Amino acid sequence: MATTVSTKSVDLSTIFPDAVIADERKGYTGWLVEKDNLIEIATYVREELDYDLLSSVTGVDYLPEEKMEVVYQVYKTTGGPGLFFKVQIPREDPMEIPSVINIWPGADLQEREIWDLYGIKFPGHPDLRRILTWEGFEGHPMRKDWQEPFYEEETKPFKSRWPKGEHIHAEEINPYHDNLKFPPKFNPENWTPTDPEEALYTSLKKFTTKNEDGLEAEQIIVNMGPQHPSTHGVFRAVVVLDGEKVVSLKPVMGYLHRNHEKIGERNTYLHNMPYTDRLDYFNSMANNWAYALAVEKLMGIEVTERSEYIRVIMSELTRIQNHLVWVGIFLNDLGAVVTPLLYAFEERELILDIFEEVSGARMMCNYYRFGGVVRDMPVRAFEKLKQLVYDRLPGKIEEFERLLSENEILLSRVKGIGYLSAKDAIATSMTGPMLRASGVPYDIRRAEPYGIYDRFDFDVVTRPECDLYARYHVRIEEMHQSLRILEQAVSTIPEGPILPKKPVYQVRVPAGEAYGRIESPKGELGFYVISNGKPNPWRYHVRAPSFINITALEKMCVGEKIADFVAILGAIDIVLGELDR
Amino acid sequence: MDWTLWLELVIKALVLIFALLGGFAYLTWYERRLLARFQSRLGPNRAGPFGLLQPIADAVKLIFKEELTPAKAYKLVFFLAPIMTLVPSVIIAAVIPWGPPFQLGDRIVTQSIADINVGVLFLMSIASIAVYGIVLAGWSSNNKYAMLGGLRSAAQMISYELTLGLAFVVAILLGNSMNLTDIVEAQRDGRWFVLVQPVGALILWIATLAEVNRHPFDMPEAEQELTAGYHTEYSGMKFALFFMAEYQKMIVVSAILATLFFGGYLGPWVDRWPLLGPVYMFLKIVILLFIMIWVRATWPRIRYDRLMAFGWKVLLPLALAVVMITAVGILLAEINPWMIWLIPIFSLIAGAFASLMIDRSLRRKAYA
Repeated sequence: MATTVSTKSVDLSTIFPDAVIADERKGYTGWLVEKDNLIEIATYVREELDYDLLSSVTGVDYLPEEKMEVVYQVYKTTGGPGLFFKVQIPREDPMEIPSVINIWPGADLQEREIWDLYGIKFPGHPDLRRILTWEGFEGHPMRKDWQEPFYEEETKPFKSRWPKGEHIHAEEINPYHDNLKFPPKFNPENWTPTDPEEALYTSLKKFTTKNEDGLEAEQIIVNMGPQHPSTHGVFRAVVVLDGEKVVSLKPVMGYLHRNHEKIGERNTYLHNMPYTDRLDYFNSMANNWAYALAVEKLMGIEVTERSEYIRVIMSELTRIQNHLVWVGIFLNDLGAVVTPLLYAFEERELILDIFEEVSGARMMCNYYRFGGVVRDMPVRAFEKLKQLVYDRLPGKIEEFERLLSENEILLSRVKGIGYLSAKDAIATSMTGPMLRASGVPYDIRRAEPYGIYDRFDFDVVTRPECDLYARYHVRIEEMHQSLRILEQAVSTIPEGPILPKKPVYQVRVPAGEAYGRIESPKGELGFYVISNGKPNPWRYHVRAPSFINITALEKMCVGEKIADFVAILGAIDIVLGELDR
Repeated sequence: MDWTLWLELVIKALVLIFALLGGFAYLTWYERRLLARFQSRLGPNRAGPFGLLQPIADAVKLIFKEELTPAKAYKLVFFLAPIMTLVPSVIIAAVIPWGPPFQLGDRIVTQSIADINVGVLFLMSIASIAVYGIVLAGWSSNNKYAMLGGLRSAAQMISYELTLGLAFVVAILLGNSMNLTDIVEAQRDGRWFVLVQPVGALILWIATLAEVNRHPFDMPEAEQELTAGYHTEYSGMKFALFFMAEYQKMIVVSAILATLFFGGYLGPWVDRWPLLGPVYMFLKIVILLFIMIWVRATWPRIRYDRLMAFGWKVLLPLALAVVMITAVGILLAEINPWMIWLIPIFSLIAGAFASLMIDRSLRRKAYA
């Protein structure tokens, strides 16, 4: 384990000797691509080399070198290591890099995010608006020279607030107004919230269609959210309706944005572990793993054998409880009051009991550490686990299937709804159950095994239907597969140490970059971490599956009914903590 | 008219109104407890024994809640809409016979407020009025969710009213009268119409579910899509009125269903003790309500366009077929009384055919 992903298998620099050089900074891999040749090279990578899945696009601000970098991480859906290529531009406005949205449409939201947070423009992007912050926001908060209100210091741990034995409030050092920036000519007193929305509504107007049969029919814009029972939090979708039919749709997000990545860059490496819990708060065990994986790659340490098993067990348990709750919430979205949800919660509680016994917390587990997990699994928890895995869960999951899968109304609500072809699913960077429900057998546990998944026997579940029905069945079947993995892991877990060496608060991370990705229950969860050898990460990027899976929402919803929009959104399985970060 | 008649009417009306209001309050308790049992929970059990004081606590809360009126609402209609929804749900109960007439002193007391000879017609006409309140509430709120909810409910109620009417026709044919008491009396000796015409009863039941916007046809207030539908903007007591109307309609349609197809107030010894009539009605209503709640606890919601398709393409033709089968069966029964049992056989065949159609219609993707 913890081998650095080799991207040298494809030698881009011999194919494009003038435009590409190998990235030879210490600890880095991949290729540095000239900005002007980006489209040409990206097209080549996509068409000739078949790297069809754009996993992640993100920016990095190298303030000391006066450079801004955009990192592209592409993979093949047939499996294997990825290809990283980077574009560096001088760090002076206006910064522009051509958009790759025509090559990988999945870059849509991610490029908007880079524009929002880094201020890099992507000419060729059809709808380059801010995404996580609002249109009136001044500055680009992920830049290293951007300082938030109440800014104290660049990195944690902060200096003592009791330097003379007396508490100092942060705002006394740094009064609020001193660091609150507004756009020019902006007066918060006179501001009405209509102006920034105009860009959004204008972007919708170009999709409206004229009625051809001569009848005057008005389309209405309905804001689904941010306060709406079915948007799973504060997600908002602006929907243009023709009667009950969805004509066009735009997702609006960021209501829960807290600039998780900036916080992560202020924190030390270990500090970040509990913060990852708060991303996808259903699956803190999975989030922990992805982050630990990235940092372990950087540190080059091995994970102890017993911890590997515990990690697999916890990760599969969290997958089961996530999918169970998903089935419940999905049925709730379809209007089945809350009965299935409460049935799902009953099982989830038992799984959370195990999480509680091993980590002390039911949801915010903060359980993984670099090189292992924080403490061993108690005997009682292990007994409970065995009872769950062997006796209770298999029957309960089958009960779910029996109660729901043949229901006429359910079938009529899910069959043929929200169609997303395999081609579109790959193009829009869908991952996880969404991609597999489109018939693409892409599961990182198989495509690029991490941990000890290569030792277990399980099937990658796919369905050919590409609709809600497929997404429902993929998840049900994945729970069975998770149980299979759990049975194998429980019966073969070895005794042994939990951590390779004594735990420390301040880990030493050599300079370099690493991309750790796992198959989280919602899709590909990746952490892109850059270290410059200091105690804090220089760059800490979360490739959130909830966020990127939203890209295809419009494609799936247009032409369906408003009731289907709710179901389609529910089927993506978003969690706003992860979506808005 | 002498003064005792007035007294009788006033007393009966008051008893009915209070029974309905109390019934509404305890129906909410009944539903919440039942739903909780279905969902492996306990439900409200804190206020009073078994949570029996919960409805009172709810009422107190709703009365003291602030009532908000949206700034751009059409104030008058916004104010009137809950009342227009509530009133029909109460007066529709006036024609339902709650028991056989009994002797009190020297006068015969009927156990219904108005035993009119076109009772079924009265039911139909009042049931149609209820839709106005909902549509107007949706429109006057000046809210898109509310408007969509109101529009949905208008379309839905009008579509299902036809089926409802045809199901009434079945009962009228079988009872050979439009008077509800006559229809009940025709079901004596255990010849409940549900046995003669089970499909008719099922159609009426489905249509009433749609008519009172209950699951799985609760489009107008589809929470997951339209937040709360037509009553999104209502709060406090105005909201409570909508709530009240919905639950009273549930009680009343259960009473209608019991009257038309389940033998109404009939039961053992009801002729010896006429006051057993309301008890039997109560039991039948409670059982029918239980089924409504059961459905709510277990089924997802049908999508709106499919609901319309189901109503027009499956339920209405089936109702027509059932009416025809019933009429022909009654004619044949004049030749030989046993021929009446051809009605259930043929209508069950028609019903089975229709459920095949449902299967197809539900699975079809597009209805333009």
